Amino acid sequence: MSSTTETYQNCEIRINNNNELFINGKRIDYEFDFDSNKWLSKYLPYHDYDSLLELARAIVRDTVEFTHVDP
Amino acid sequence: MAIRKDANTLTTSERQELTSAILELKRRGIYDQFVLRHANANMRAIHRSPAFLPWHRRYLWDFERELQRVSGNPDLGLPYWNWPEGGSGASMWDDDLLGGDGHPVSQVVSSGPFRSGQWTVINSSGQPAGPLTRAFGRESWATELPALQEILDVLSITPYDAAPWNESVTQSFRNQLEGFRGPNLHNRGHGWVGGSMLPMTSPNDPVFFMNHCMVDKIWHEWQIRFPRQGYLPASGGPFGQNLNDPMDSTPATPIDRRPIDVLLSSNLNIEYDAVFPGTGQDQNQTVELSTNGTLVDGNISSTGEIDLYHFDVTDFNTYVAETSGASDTVMTLFGPDDHTLQIALNDDGGENFNSRISQSLPAGRYFISIRLFDNSATGSYQIRVNTESSDNPVIPQLEVNGPATDAEITNPREIDLFRFSAQSSGVYSIETSGSTDTFMTVFGPDSETLQIATDDDSGFLRNARLQLQLQPGEYFVRIRHYSNTGTGAYQIQVSQSN
Repeated sequence: MSSTTETYQNCEIRINNNNELFINGKRIDYEFDFDSNKWLSKYLPYHDYDSLLELARAIVRDTVEFTHVDP
Repeated sequence: MAIRKDANTLTTSERQELTSAILELKRRGIYDQFVLRHANANMRAIHRSPAFLPWHRRYLWDFERELQRVSGNPDLGLPYWNWPEGGSGASMWDDDLLGGDGHPVSQVVSSGPFRSGQWTVINSSGQPAGPLTRAFGRESWATELPALQEILDVLSITPYDAAPWNESVTQSFRNQLEGFRGPNLHNRGHGWVGGSMLPMTSPNDPVFFMNHCMVDKIWHEWQIRFPRQGYLPASGGPFGQNLNDPMDSTPATPIDRRPIDVLLSSNLNIEYDAVFPGTGQDQNQTVELSTNGTLVDGNISSTGEIDLYHFDVTDFNTYVAETSGASDTVMTLFGPDDHTLQIALNDDGGENFNSRISQSLPAGRYFISIRLFDNSATGSYQIRVNTESSDNPVIPQLEVNGPATDAEITNPREIDLFRFSAQSSGVYSIETSGSTDTFMTVFGPDSETLQIATDDDSGFLRNARLQLQLQPGEYFVRIRHYSNTGTGAYQIQVSQSN
């Protein structure tokens, strides 16, 4: 089993076999669109992403589910 | 009746009222309930699917009702974000309404009513998750806001939606408006603001509601342009997406929660302050018709085309507008002097599927749109406007200081016309009474078209009342219902002060 891990904005992103996504240990559901070759998530309804890692970073960066910005 | 306006045009007091109402909803926890309703809905039940538009129409309507309730103003309307005029320098981003862009690095919004310290966003579990963030134009896929021509391009697309009923379909008004095909309209609004507007918790930013109000306005205008293009799928689509299916995360009261329940904006008392060029009428592109003149040739040369005409009425009379020829035409009459104010619509009132409208009209400019019943058809026709008879109908005379006159707006958009004689200079009071929300316009002296004054609610309850210093002469009073859909009885009276 291949696994890649990176820390992005204080969150741990782990991708197993290029098809299982975890952020801070939580499994994240996503979809792959075979027509457009893009990844999407229920967390980010307005845009699709070119790679699973790019989607994962966007979830960390743009949702408030895993991090928040201090005032 | 709430009028939804361009957010940039709100007055100082309107901005104060709106932001105070939003802050009050937040204080009571109601605002966050709306955030959670969106955030925890099934993403594909409300996005990337046909119900995207009716779901958000209902969501906005519910939110608007809450704003009206906490403000005590039943006429408070959600403003819309007019994208072509809504860039970072627009007044809607001033500190008395939305506040502006976020910090260049942290993206934190630090000014305006929703600034850090004053406004906290929540995550999808309802937990506080920091300040509001924005990053105008910094998403690579949304560096510019939609332009007017892009909106007009999407407004020309039919049908409403098509199989497979998701983000992959190109020939779909819904999908092009949502933004997964074509110029990308709605999604780009979210992306351009960035920050808190990117995830499913995007209602955390109050501009969410203005973005979707713009989306709803565009859908509303598309429905006007293509009145025979219905919501799709009527049946056979995924559950929750068909015309009569219950929509996800939508309450079943005070109206039912199906797409069919929100298709008509007028049923929800939704009105917008303006229309885009080509919706209803564009008086700059209309062909003039001469009353009692010759037949004018018309031609719908491409599918979905709408032909536009205007004619001038100088004297109150009954006018007949009709088409002839082999095409199945549909006619809509607008006016007076307002190309968005619909008076009547007819399909087959003439011979051989032609359209015909007979209407008593006070002086003014009127506008006619002609389209074909079958949006996929083309064809030619002829059109003319005639007076129904050479005898002008009698305009009801109001007796100054006499008894009130009973009247009734029996059809939506009807305009009643009265006249009265001012025998001497003085202050005259013209007012309506009753439970109908009337709107009054006074013309004169000795002219049906020289406008003196208008009034909506200066009388008792929602009646109209004008007190005017008048010179001797004949004056004319037009009464219509404030709402385009309203009807009702009323009384009208003129008195002169001693």
